[in-house]
Amino acid sequence: MTPLLELRGIVVEAGGRAILDVPRLTLGAGRITAVLGANGAGKTTLLRVAGALIRPTAGQVMLEGAPATAASIRRASAAVLQRPLLRRTTVQQNAETGLRFHRVPRPEARRRAGEWLERLRVSHLARRPAHTLSAGEAQRVSLARALALSPRLLLLDEPFTSLDAPTRGELLVDLGDVLTATGTAALLVTHDRHEAAALADRMAILHAGELRQDGPAAQVREHPADPDCARILGYETVLDPPVARRVSRDGDRPVALRAEDCRAAAPGAEPGGSDLTITARLTRLIPLGATSRVITEVDGRQLIATAPAPPPAWLAALTPGDPIAIRLDRERARPVGDARPVGSTQQARGVEG
Amino acid sequence: MDVVWDALREALDLLFSGDPQTFEIIGLSLRISLTATAIAFALGLPLGMLLAFGRFRGRRLALATVHTGMGMPPVVVGLVVTVALWRSGPLGQLELLYTPSAMILAQAAIGTPLVAGISAAALQQVDPDFRVQMQALGASRLRSLWAVAVEARLPLLAAVMAGFGAAVSEVGAAMMVGGNIAGETRVLTTAAVLETSKGNLALAVAFGLILLLLAFAVNLVLTLAQQRGRP
Repeated sequence: MTPLLELRGIVVEAGGRAILDVPRLTLGAGRITAVLGANGAGKTTLLRVAGALIRPTAGQVMLEGAPATAASIRRASAAVLQRPLLRRTTVQQNAETGLRFHRVPRPEARRRAGEWLERLRVSHLARRPAHTLSAGEAQRVSLARALALSPRLLLLDEPFTSLDAPTRGELLVDLGDVLTATGTAALLVTHDRHEAAALADRMAILHAGELRQDGPAAQVREHPADPDCARILGYETVLDPPVARRVSRDGDRPVALRAEDCRAAAPGAEPGGSDLTITARLTRLIPLGATSRVITEVDGRQLIATAPAPPPAWLAALTPGDPIAIRLDRERARPVGDARPVGSTQQARGVEG
Repeated sequence: MDVVWDALREALDLLFSGDPQTFEIIGLSLRISLTATAIAFALGLPLGMLLAFGRFRGRRLALATVHTGMGMPPVVVGLVVTVALWRSGPLGQLELLYTPSAMILAQAAIGTPLVAGISAAALQQVDPDFRVQMQALGASRLRSLWAVAVEARLPLLAAVMAGFGAAVSEVGAAMMVGGNIAGETRVLTTAAVLETSKGNLALAVAFGLILLLLAFAVNLVLTLAQQRGRP
């Protein structure tokens, strides 16, 4: 099936340096694709290329198999940026903005904007000046403004980042429902893997401007293509062979571990089940509300583990440089670089590295 | 103090007696300065947009030039316009010297850098992503530029007020290119200068007060438009 949007050989240069290099990325009709990456990885640039808001230095954007023009992409898509950027007028007028740009007659624009304010639960604010809204309300209006255009592709640039946790959760669920109900395809760029996991059925990983991994969300989450991808996916520890060989039977690949699957163990405690206990050196202990982060080092690699908070007496007594036993949950360790390549040269390079 | 009271009485007399000569001067002042302001805005806003959003070599140099123009002595502008319109000058054939058109030209030349400079600053105040967001909702480049201007309407109206203020209060250029001809190119400022030089201080102050009143009326209208919907 022809993808709705396809990025082919996209390179964006700034100051003579490539800040984005995406050999191929496809967005399927009605599918939600998340591009995950750290700050400065090129996510916003990628989204703006997809929305024809900046022109790439090289490469081609295809819309339903045909070379896209800025006009054809604008007809098919709408974007919601990180900050809501509402106009200095009423909420209702803001929601009508895109429709008016598309020359939709005023009565119809009013009706459609009203419907979407209703669906995003902000219709009671319609007469309010936009600058009096809270961050969450403003982002809902911004979403309604984009969705009122009935775009085939919704471009979302970290739309939840500026919101507090409860507001973010609610909006995430509401947006997921809307996208499913309308069959709207979406490209979500974010640094938050939880957001990506909650919405997306495909996931791609961008690191330092390079597309490193791309695949079904569940597969990408469990099979990081390289150590950078692993860290972006929340595996804070990546251990090299030979330590890795003790953790996983999967030969010579590094293994990735989440902090919650590595626990600081009291001296002399019995290892349980399939756990593996290794000895590391303490770097730093950081008590955080419910758990403590235990930063350690093994074979020159950082290993991040957890412990209860407040830390037990034996742990609190340790000083940096002291040996500490860390119990690793072997079952939860993920080999790095076993993902099937998805036809990107970058990814192959990443695996070798 | 007598001169002040005399002036006040004289001003009120002039306004309420319906002296046709005074009203002619007021009307001409308004017509010339409002036209000049409109031209300054029509030229200054696109220039400000170009300076705010354009990507070309020498943009900052151009901006500095415009900023210098904001403080241009009206006498210099008047001199340049006079030379240009002089019978043997490059635009001499138009025979505009000592006509209201020449005064409009001079005042527009004074107002344009003011409008352009303030507009550029006003437009750059709007979040750069705002324009991107408008385009991401389907606005063309031009339409998105307009949306930014609408967003910056408060400071843009301030630019208009500054332009009008400079035009209506200006005397040097008006004198030079208009010639202060009674019934033809005599405006409030030049009339005030003339009456002062003749020793008719009361009448001069009266013209000054009327000028202030006029400027206030125009700015009141603009301010009400600017602050619409605010307590």
